Amino acid sequence: MNLSYLANASGIAAEYSLYEKWIASAKVILTGFAVVFAVLLLLIAIIKLYSTIVIKVQDRSIVKKNKKVKVAQPGDTLKKPVVIPVQKNTADEPAVSDGIDDEVVAVIAAAVTAMYGTKGKAKIKSIKKSGGRSAWANAGILDNTRPF
Amino acid sequence: MEIIDGFFKAITGIFNESGISTLNWQNYVMIAISIVLLYLAIKKQYEPLLLLPIAFGMLLVNLYPAIMNPPSVELLTADQCAAQHVELAGHAKRVIDGVTYYENPTYGGLLYYLYQGVKLGIYPPLIFLGIGCMTDFGPLIANPKSLILGAAAQIGIFVTFTGAIFLGFSEPEAGAIGIIGGADGPTAIYVTTKLAPHLLGSIAIAAYSYMALVPIIQPPIMKALTTKKERMVVMEQLRPVSKLEKIMFPIIVVILIAILLPDAAPLVGMLMLGNLFKESGVVDRIAKAAQNELMNIITIFLGTTVGATASGQNFLSLNTIKIIVLGLIAFSMGTAFGVLFGKLMYKFTGGKVNPLIGSAGVSAVPMAARVSQKVGQQENPGNFLLMHAMGPNVAGVIGSAVAAGVLLNVVGH
Repeated sequence: MNLSYLANASGIAAEYSLYEKWIASAKVILTGFAVVFAVLLLLIAIIKLYSTIVIKVQDRSIVKKNKKVKVAQPGDTLKKPVVIPVQKNTADEPAVSDGIDDEVVAVIAAAVTAMYGTKGKAKIKSIKKSGGRSAWANAGILDNTRPF
Repeated sequence: MEIIDGFFKAITGIFNESGISTLNWQNYVMIAISIVLLYLAIKKQYEPLLLLPIAFGMLLVNLYPAIMNPPSVELLTADQCAAQHVELAGHAKRVIDGVTYYENPTYGGLLYYLYQGVKLGIYPPLIFLGIGCMTDFGPLIANPKSLILGAAAQIGIFVTFTGAIFLGFSEPEAGAIGIIGGADGPTAIYVTTKLAPHLLGSIAIAAYSYMALVPIIQPPIMKALTTKKERMVVMEQLRPVSKLEKIMFPIIVVILIAILLPDAAPLVGMLMLGNLFKESGVVDRIAKAAQNELMNIITIFLGTTVGATASGQNFLSLNTIKIIVLGLIAFSMGTAFGVLFGKLMYKFTGGKVNPLIGSAGVSAVPMAARVSQKVGQQENPGNFLLMHAMGPNVAGVIGSAVAAGVLLNVVGH
């Protein structure tokens, strides 16, 4: 605790000479500039580093997944032609049922496109109506409302 | 006759204890000021969530100053104790000039107790918890360079510190005044309670007033420091940020800042905890409670009690005028340095960065980012700078917390 703080606490106005004022100002300005910029520049470096690592790891896992899919298909189809039952590709097309209107599906798809764009990786795999609460949610509500 | 005497005594007693005989002219001036602030909050909607409780706290304390009184001990004689039906047993005795007095503790005013959350530095970090739950650091992670703009906008804090020192304020007072330039209410309150609690009312009101006036103060500075060509720059779309990056961000930031600058840990720690609540996606209930119920309750307590520190005797002084002028300088300097660093980035990136996003480096989330968007669109209606400005804007929150840590460390210890 410095003297000026004590002076404040006791209600006495702190009085500095011109020299002391320059010293106090220079000290705070220099320390402030240096520390704020150093910390934030360090933060920039760390964010860049971990972002690069995360992006690379995620890209690699996507490539691995794609490779697995590609390797599995040719062998099966060349040697043993199999009759594949006519079936909709559920991974690419949204599973719409349970009384969800086409209009609702269109609105959700438009919202997703507006957020992620047409070139993005976003894909609607299924649309479900949110039904009743799960057992955990019910337990949580019971726990919170029991005192009342 | 006895009835009439009793009636007059009761009326005189009520009159003597009423505000009409206890309040002074300063209280009446403050009542008028609080009504003006209430008008601005309700009619003009200037930061109403905070200005309304602040103004009402100010009104209350000037109507009934005892609402902020701390608990005390009154000395009663045995006869007085009997008259007031105070039991003598259990009360400490004190003998003064041969007369025995009994210490009778009295309770403090309502707002005194609520004020302890401000005084002990509890409310501002809790507000930061809620802010963390509402903040998307995605634009900052996508473009980390915007942290430079968040740092540049804090320069105003330190330059204003110099101005305050030369205007006769002590070092801790100057630190508390300078932090107005960070344009971050909770940070300003947190630093002021630690460095210069007697200036809390003036500093909080100056800080929130300038934050409300961001759309008026910033555009002229932004336009004066940039060319039309610079303001028209359309920036490239930001890359999408993965969930993993967003989850890692608060953990990394808190580790870094709490280790390097422990004084900033309460603010940054709570901000990042709130953000982790949001980004983790596993504690949805807590995240909602922190950003809604908890934040609203704390806002009521914080606003009302900060307003209640502005009693006539404290507030009406030359120092308040100096603080309001210095606060404006701090705020304008923060905006100017943000824009100037934006210009530097414009030069270094070959015209890819619009310098207008620099002004959003002062915190004031999301108002300052909206101002960047609005000024940019005035020059080029098809330009959408909002998400680009959100990067420096949220960086400003981290930057002002770091600047607060520096001030607490340099002038507060």
